[in-house]
Amino acid sequence: MSDLQSDIRKEAARLLSENSVDVVIGFENASVPLRPQPAFIKRAEDAEKLVFNGFCQNNLATFLNRYPKTTRIGLVARGCESRAAYALMVEHQHPRENLVLIGVSCAGILDWRKVEARAGENVLSAEEVNGEVKVRSRLGEFTFDRAELLHDSCARCVHPNPVNADIQLGETLPEGDKALARQPIAEFEVLSSTERYAFFTHEAERCIRCYACREACPMCYCAECFVDHTTPRWAESTVGSSGTHAWHLVRAFHQAGRCVSCGACERACPMDIKMTYLTDKLNDDMQSLYGFEVGLDDTSQPPFAAFSLDDKDRFVS
Amino acid sequence: MHKNGNNPYEPMPMRIARAYYESNDRSLKTFELVFEREADCKRFFEAYNPGQFCQLSIFGKGEAPFGIASAAWEGEFVRFTVQKMGTFTQAIHRMKAGDPIGMRGPLGNGFPLDEWGGKNLVVIGGGCAFSTLYALTKHIQHPSNRATYNELCVIYGARNSGLCMYKSDIQSWYGREDLQIHQAVDVPEEGWLHHVGYVPDVVKEVAPSPENAVAVVCGPPIMTKFTLPVLTDLGFAPETIFTSLEKRMKCGVGKCGRCNIGPEYICKDGPVFSQAELQALPADI
Amino acid sequence: MKQVQIEKNALPELIQRWAQSAQVVAPVKKESYTAFEVITSPEEIELERAHNTRYPLKALFLPQSEVLFRYHNGEYLPAEAQDSTRVIFGARPCDARALTLLDTVFEEEGSHDPYWKTRRAAASVVGIGCDQPCESCFCTTVGSGPFDRSGLDVLVTPVDGKYALEAVTEKGQTLLANLPELSASEQKQVEEIQQRAASQMKAAFDPAGVRDKLYAIFESEYWKQVQQSCLGCGVCTFLCPTCFCFDIVDETQRGERVRNWDTCMFSVYSLEASGHNPRPSRLERTRQRLMHKYAYWLDHIDQIGCTGCGRCVRYCPVGLDIREMIRRAQAWEEA
Repeated sequence: MSDLQSDIRKEAARLLSENSVDVVIGFENASVPLRPQPAFIKRAEDAEKLVFNGFCQNNLATFLNRYPKTTRIGLVARGCESRAAYALMVEHQHPRENLVLIGVSCAGILDWRKVEARAGENVLSAEEVNGEVKVRSRLGEFTFDRAELLHDSCARCVHPNPVNADIQLGETLPEGDKALARQPIAEFEVLSSTERYAFFTHEAERCIRCYACREACPMCYCAECFVDHTTPRWAESTVGSSGTHAWHLVRAFHQAGRCVSCGACERACPMDIKMTYLTDKLNDDMQSLYGFEVGLDDTSQPPFAAFSLDDKDRFVS
Repeated sequence: MHKNGNNPYEPMPMRIARAYYESNDRSLKTFELVFEREADCKRFFEAYNPGQFCQLSIFGKGEAPFGIASAAWEGEFVRFTVQKMGTFTQAIHRMKAGDPIGMRGPLGNGFPLDEWGGKNLVVIGGGCAFSTLYALTKHIQHPSNRATYNELCVIYGARNSGLCMYKSDIQSWYGREDLQIHQAVDVPEEGWLHHVGYVPDVVKEVAPSPENAVAVVCGPPIMTKFTLPVLTDLGFAPETIFTSLEKRMKCGVGKCGRCNIGPEYICKDGPVFSQAELQALPADI
Repeated sequence: MKQVQIEKNALPELIQRWAQSAQVVAPVKKESYTAFEVITSPEEIELERAHNTRYPLKALFLPQSEVLFRYHNGEYLPAEAQDSTRVIFGARPCDARALTLLDTVFEEEGSHDPYWKTRRAAASVVGIGCDQPCESCFCTTVGSGPFDRSGLDVLVTPVDGKYALEAVTEKGQTLLANLPELSASEQKQVEEIQQRAASQMKAAFDPAGVRDKLYAIFESEYWKQVQQSCLGCGVCTFLCPTCFCFDIVDETQRGERVRNWDTCMFSVYSLEASGHNPRPSRLERTRQRLMHKYAYWLDHIDQIGCTGCGRCVRYCPVGLDIREMIRRAQAWEEA
């Protein structure tokens, strides 16, 4: 990881000093252990602030929308981030010519909550060394296998390598096993509808409508989200209500064929709610029904965003 | 569980006694509300001071704040003029005399009348924000109040004559000795006998003296923005210029947090503030 | 006021005693965190799993969604009084102190909030002090401490195999009736534990002058830094024990006027019907949050509107740390 980190710093410094980009979006160390923060580097001399490790848990593509389309952005992009960047390009959110993808092959994000579950709430530091994670906390020193700390979405990741990046850093990693990735969906599919609903309501009942999932997601960028619309009010904001159910289900549908399965939503959630099972299933449907997978190029339109005369319309006629 | 007066969120049951359009385009409608409960009426008028507002409530539609447009001496009713804008105002515009409606108030601080004794008052209003200034003028006009204040100059501009509120009453003001009235419309109109121009320019034209005077400005933000420098240039000190602010409101009693500018809540510490007070607050409006 | 002690394994019996005449609410284990719930047996109480509940104590007095009243055919129907007697056990001092801050908003003379007031009057709060404050805690920096008694009726201090319980109010005295009192030396031992816990904590920043500094830099470029990675979600405000902003809506399906927690971090919070938004970007909104907690609260009651619980630090999705924000503000020099 530290090689990647110095490579990222070099590339960022180069891009900025050559004036090829106006800003590089990456991560930097902040004040809380295991919580690097998104960084927005504008000067070559600040590039040395950039860090890269398994605890960089945000999908940086979510920040692309903050900039005018004329801003030239260098984006540190792992597999899912590069796919999200392409998905956003297809939706005209940022032009390809004003984006430099600093591609980084990713071994998966480590879940700080899994670290705390094992090493206690007061983790002081963590270091990745040769596939292991050495943690120092108030309870002592621990060594974990990287694999046991992977965030659930990353454990199922199919595309760890950045897609069509301008710069490729790190060794190309093998693609993930699609069948393995599909396993949780397969397990869910055999549940009865009562069981599925019970699972859904159990997860949704602790939702506090903070919309961290929405804000962390690169594909949720609507100027007015449907939940904020008041004339008429589509989904009530009362917690524990049908409004909460509507929030989760409608958001999942709005993500169908657009979501890159990065899991940033689950990592952002303060109540530890599972929600990727909904979007993963819808993405799976988009693959099997329409042969579509998002973010692999900058031209293919997501099925729900495009219309063609030969679209299937069995439900109509 | 809660008697009214103990629950600040419970609306008082009111009834619309009169409802009539002010403007030909029917965008402005005035409502005069009467109290269903004697005790509410008594409590209201004991507390009421021009410049205050009420939250009007329609079950199922929510609430919205409106400046009170009547003086206490006019009778045991409360007048509001509503501009049709969003869900709530559309709903209230559909209402007519006899319909029930809820009201919470009087809320806010109102104009600091006890500080204005003996002063010359310059009242400057634009558009439908004139409603509380109308209440203020009506209050001052009453014989038992008039002698407390010195000269009264009222400047009231509307986009066009059709949008002018309280037309017939204001028409009668031209015949009165106890105030000067200057009405204005934005652009020339056939048959219009008074000023033409935006309110800030009319203020410049009328050039009220700052000597022993206070000015109250209520209007759309852009009007206020350009009127304040005119008053400053005329020599009005910040302590003598007052405005009434608006912001999105919900509880109206300083609890829900949203209408704050710095540490002040517009619903509770305002909506009336002097320029001097506003200059001490962070620029968050 | 009296100070008593019980063996740790005698706690269930004491809880049962309280449960005779009150609902007991305590932290219980959920899948990955603890949450305050009404318990039916002392075994349900979970104090070891997590330092503090995920969701703040304030929710027991200002629920995230609360029916203010109902209406039917134009008629006003009052909501049921929430006056069940409750003993809330296992609160942390940061959360309890926050209740006293919120009291200044909701129990204001002449304009009190009857819903808050009824719940507060009907509840006793038994807090457990923190003998081992967490890395993310900073209560001592903001005028509180791991054994702060504000907002508590009883303060519990863990001492070896026992609990020392100190009555802070009359309500607390009643809860501790007929329990063996501490000797002077035992009291001293308790004090030492409390002091040691407080002294373990490092100051997160220097609170002196923070209000004036924030006002001084209100228009500066500092806020551009602060708002950069903020996502504009509601995690910090909803988990915060001192945040209280709420929205009021009519839920037409059920004929209810409801209040729901709201947050100054959402853009629609200050959006006016005309389309004008006085806080149009993340910059104004993050500034509002910091100013409210560390300046406007001080203007109102001369106390910082933050009790250092650390939830915003732990759960911010982008790792923003309010302590760091204050440190940077204190250090900010205009170029």
